[in-house]
Amino acid sequence: MTSLIRAFGGPLTCLILFFSGVWVLGLIAAPQIIMIDKSLWRMERPVGAAELSVQIDGLYNRLDLLALDRSTVADQPEKLAAIDTETSTIQAQIADLERAETTPVKTYTLDNFRQMGAAHFAIFVRTILASLAVSALALVVCYPIAFAVAQLKTARTAALIMLMLVVPYAINELLRIFAWQMLLGPNGPVNAVLSALGLPAVPFLESGAGVFIAMVYAYILFMVFPLYNVLETLDKNQIEAARDLGAPVWQIHRRVVIPHARPGIAVGCIMTFMLSVGSYSVPYIMTRGTAAPWFTQLIYNRFFEATNWNVGAAYALSLLIVCMIFVFLMMRLLKVSLKDIAK
Amino acid sequence: MTHSPRGGRQAGDLVLHVYMLLFFAYMFLPLIAMMLAGVNDYSPPSITVWKGFTLRWFSALWQDARMWSGLANSLMIAGAVVALSLPMGLAGALLLSKLGRRSAGLLYIIMVSPLLTPGLIIGIATVTLWSQLGVSGGVLTAILAQSAFISAYAMLMFMARLQRQDITLEEAALDLGATPARAFRRITLPFLRPTMISAAVIAFLQSFENYNTTIFSIGGDHTLVTEIGARMRFGISPMINAIGIIFVALTVICAVLWGVLRKRGIARQA
Repeated sequence: MTSLIRAFGGPLTCLILFFSGVWVLGLIAAPQIIMIDKSLWRMERPVGAAELSVQIDGLYNRLDLLALDRSTVADQPEKLAAIDTETSTIQAQIADLERAETTPVKTYTLDNFRQMGAAHFAIFVRTILASLAVSALALVVCYPIAFAVAQLKTARTAALIMLMLVVPYAINELLRIFAWQMLLGPNGPVNAVLSALGLPAVPFLESGAGVFIAMVYAYILFMVFPLYNVLETLDKNQIEAARDLGAPVWQIHRRVVIPHARPGIAVGCIMTFMLSVGSYSVPYIMTRGTAAPWFTQLIYNRFFEATNWNVGAAYALSLLIVCMIFVFLMMRLLKVSLKDIAK
Repeated sequence: MTHSPRGGRQAGDLVLHVYMLLFFAYMFLPLIAMMLAGVNDYSPPSITVWKGFTLRWFSALWQDARMWSGLANSLMIAGAVVALSLPMGLAGALLLSKLGRRSAGLLYIIMVSPLLTPGLIIGIATVTLWSQLGVSGGVLTAILAQSAFISAYAMLMFMARLQRQDITLEEAALDLGATPARAFRRITLPFLRPTMISAAVIAFLQSFENYNTTIFSIGGDHTLVTEIGARMRFGISPMINAIGIIFVALTVICAVLWGVLRKRGIARQA
């Protein structure tokens, strides 16, 4: 704090603290805290609702009796007045009790998470597994590419190739997905080729296979760039040395290249996994609602269609926890720190 | 092993090059197919049925009011996000640069956490908070949700630049009697200017292109990209492909410009 004031002076320090505070507290922390809070409570029927309703029934009976009494004493004004006042107090009492019976109370519970049920939990697990598969596939496909480009003799060609890859990377995610919707559609070129080969048509869009294919395509470049960035810094002499010492290709990769690439692998896997597991656009565009939903679609439904925000928040939090566990595991497994990841 | 090691290596290189070529085809062919369908006189978008070249999807696009209002919203949101995330990212970077190791570490984790969070969760959390305060989802919540993570990009860029700053200049200014504020204004800010420009560009593009955070935080409003998403779902009109052509063209132009500018920058430094 004092070092801040010494470095920037009072007014500037105030500005810095103000903007950092708005960002960290207002835009990052507060929304998350409210969402976590929301996932932990729900509006419930008050505890004594059953007893209250018995009591209310009793009061209604009493009202009926009073109405009966009233008809028998129609000629005695003072008795009539007494009955009327009692009737109105009972009516007020009933109104109070009914309000207490039906006004839900905020109750903290873990039931929002239990709401998931077997069907939604299966989708949750399937989403995670499919996203893991997307990341693994992306890693396997991209590793040779990143290695090949990084090994090119001239830095100029490598830069040009990477610039060419920036184009599909920078093109909006939706367009990359949409391209596959047409390619894999019932009348698309892929099915046209299949039928030309005498094979039956494949319902890519309706089976969920289309989601997987488009997802790999949409997020694969998030693996290429981190991998390339670390492999580019690998000293080629190390590979030469290993080769001269007679190491076979797989040994060179296992002992020299992959250890060097750890931070890139971690970033690539985290990005592709996070984008896949949190993807709303790919399942939304590719399935047209015909295939089983992705978990993100369930979250969307809880919030904007079923409007049960408490359950929605619980679902979103579950997804966030999965991502945090994945980031933590990757950092542990590949022995990289957060500073290596956020670059 | 009948090959000499050298021959084996060349064969390996060849395999790698073929693989690279295949990868490029995989990356570009789907996009080219999508663009072709945008000038095909046939609806729904298709390249298996070719009815000839047309520009009518572009004129349909031109007359689409919702696309225009989406574009206006996108530009407005992106402008606001730049205006918010630049000062917030810069403040974060400056704060971290002067804090002690331990507190900086924790703050750093919080500041980069939005980059490791699925976008939809940032969007949903922002809407949840603001609905509690009586503000329903719309342009404002979209701006705030996007700024939460775009500021992190800006912060990382400013941090990288600050680490390369020659602190002796600032110290010299202070020794010569400049107030800290004056030294900051005259030395640090000009040093950060190139980063400010690139951070502004990145923030603008990130905001403009964003779908995931936006669709969960925009409520009943729409941006150009969420509108495109809604139309894509049923893929009925090649108008979307026409938009795709425009996006691809803009991206290529930007990439080439960026490449040329960087080359010039390198040449000037050399």
